[in-house]
Amino acid sequence: MDSLTAAAAKALAAGDALGALKHVALRDDPPALALRGIAMAQLGEHPRARELLKRAARGFGSHEALARARCVVAEAEVALAMRDLGGTPRALMAAVTALEAHDDHANAVHARLIAVRKLLLLGQLDAAETELSHLNGRPLPPALAATAELASAELGLRSLNVAPARAALERAHAAAQRARVPALLAEVEEARSALSHPAARQLSAGNARALRLDEVADLLDSDALVIDGCRRGICAGAQWQPLARRPVLFALARVLAEAWPGDIDRETLIDNAFNTQQPDETHRARLRVEIGRLRALLRPMAEIVATPRGFVLRPLDGREVALLAPPIDGEQASLIALLSDGAAWSTSALALALNASQRTVQRALAELEADGRVRAIGRTRTRRWLAPPLAGYTTILLLPAALQMA
Amino acid sequence: MTSNTSKLAEPALRPAEIVREYGPFPDADSIAGVTHDGKRVWAATGKRLIAFDPASGDPADSLPCACDAGTAFDGTHLYQIAERRIDKIDPASGKVVASIPAPGDGNDSGMAWAEGSLWVGQYRDRKIHQIDPASGKILRTIDSKRFVTGVTWVDGQLWHGTWENDESELLRVDPADGAVLERLGMPPGVNISGLESDGADLFYAGGGSSGKVRAVRRPKAAA
Repeated sequence: MDSLTAAAAKALAAGDALGALKHVALRDDPPALALRGIAMAQLGEHPRARELLKRAARGFGSHEALARARCVVAEAEVALAMRDLGGTPRALMAAVTALEAHDDHANAVHARLIAVRKLLLLGQLDAAETELSHLNGRPLPPALAATAELASAELGLRSLNVAPARAALERAHAAAQRARVPALLAEVEEARSALSHPAARQLSAGNARALRLDEVADLLDSDALVIDGCRRGICAGAQWQPLARRPVLFALARVLAEAWPGDIDRETLIDNAFNTQQPDETHRARLRVEIGRLRALLRPMAEIVATPRGFVLRPLDGREVALLAPPIDGEQASLIALLSDGAAWSTSALALALNASQRTVQRALAELEADGRVRAIGRTRTRRWLAPPLAGYTTILLLPAALQMA
Repeated sequence: MTSNTSKLAEPALRPAEIVREYGPFPDADSIAGVTHDGKRVWAATGKRLIAFDPASGDPADSLPCACDAGTAFDGTHLYQIAERRIDKIDPASGKVVASIPAPGDGNDSGMAWAEGSLWVGQYRDRKIHQIDPASGKILRTIDSKRFVTGVTWVDGQLWHGTWENDESELLRVDPADGAVLERLGMPPGVNISGLESDGADLFYAGGGSSGKVRAVRRPKAAA
């Protein structure tokens, strides 16, 4: 490293981004561009930082693959902080290869974690899990360990594996304390507090009880037949019958569950499932067909038995029936409950699941987006909707080791 | 033609023999430059010049001063590159007695004292400047084939360190045309960020962000 680059790196390591810029502001050689980019990123000037890091990466020669890879990683991290999720992961994965070839394992892990966070933001949970599993058992520096555990907790919470998620959060907390990055610690704390917020309501006989996420998980793990109005499906022990694409069947199941252990009359079922107040014979015929379909899907878990005035739900093996609903009423709450699986939903899939018009759903999504409670990726027909990450860690820039950029 | 010939003639890489490692030292994250005053080895660590006894490895002295790159010793004073200047420092008091502009204007890396001149490496520009220590005037410039980190003279031989792609070599170059005469490769990931000869058969090499200083054996007059 030359003298001004060293002076700039020294300032940057001490947190003095402006002092670092003062040393290399007028220089366009690749190490100076990289340091300028990192300083700009630390000052929150993300677009400028990206441009500088891109130029730095281009400027390093073919005999400087390591420095170039570090710039690519820094640039990918800045892009992630900008929520620019377009583009292919090819450059980042090539950087991982180069870093590993040069035994720079810390930055290789850092690059992989950027890929994991990007996949989480894109709602590609399976791919995120696979990528994260590459890091299993590797010793990680504290800040990266905290980030990895946060990602792991996020995956756990999305799939309602609350106990492992809680354990991952505890490990993230310990690692963040060792890393002494205040922003990281704050985000771990925030993710932990998400566990104590009401995640759903359990409805029974007109009463509602707020449940935390672990209580929801306990209920789903219990023996009860759960009509899950958050994820739109029916669960009994390990069996899960999704009904997000069968809104009529889900509406029938919900009404049957509300009436349980009593029966429910045909008019109420027709009213709820078909949105009509004046039922005629065709509706009664349709009800028989739909009940028949629901009966077939529920056969491993419950029976639906006809009564003189309607139908009654009879779970197998003497199970209880529990009805789960989003923590508050309304279209918006239902949307958030659906998105809480962390996957990317299209507007039409959400409309189908909620049995609402696309326009209604779009309106509700627009309001939620304005409040920052949902996120959109993609444009027009490829637009997908996602819940914000439970652990909002993705704006923290850890950046590859600045001192080694040259 | 000439450059092609000299490239083809470049000698084979031999492994450097590392005799001893010193450090990392307290409160010193990296080593930016090294020099030898006949008894002690001095190392630039960013905000402090530290001296240690190469026989025992014990700390011997410490001077607070800006030290971002190469260090040299002329028999009386220390010379130290800081930002874009070279400070002349009294090792007894630590006082900066004079300053001259660095020839690379901040792109400077290693520095050596020899024959009444300072020799300053310009890292990515692959140059070694001979300058007048009083005025900073460039007397001549040697073009190397590689990035220049540390620079040192011993027995009329000009050696410099390189650091590219996290790989470092010790090169002996022809002071006339920069042609590489001898190459010693450091082990993978072991970098050179400053170089000084002890006047005999050892080099002291700064280890960059490892914070170490390494003693490397100088090959017996091979060429």
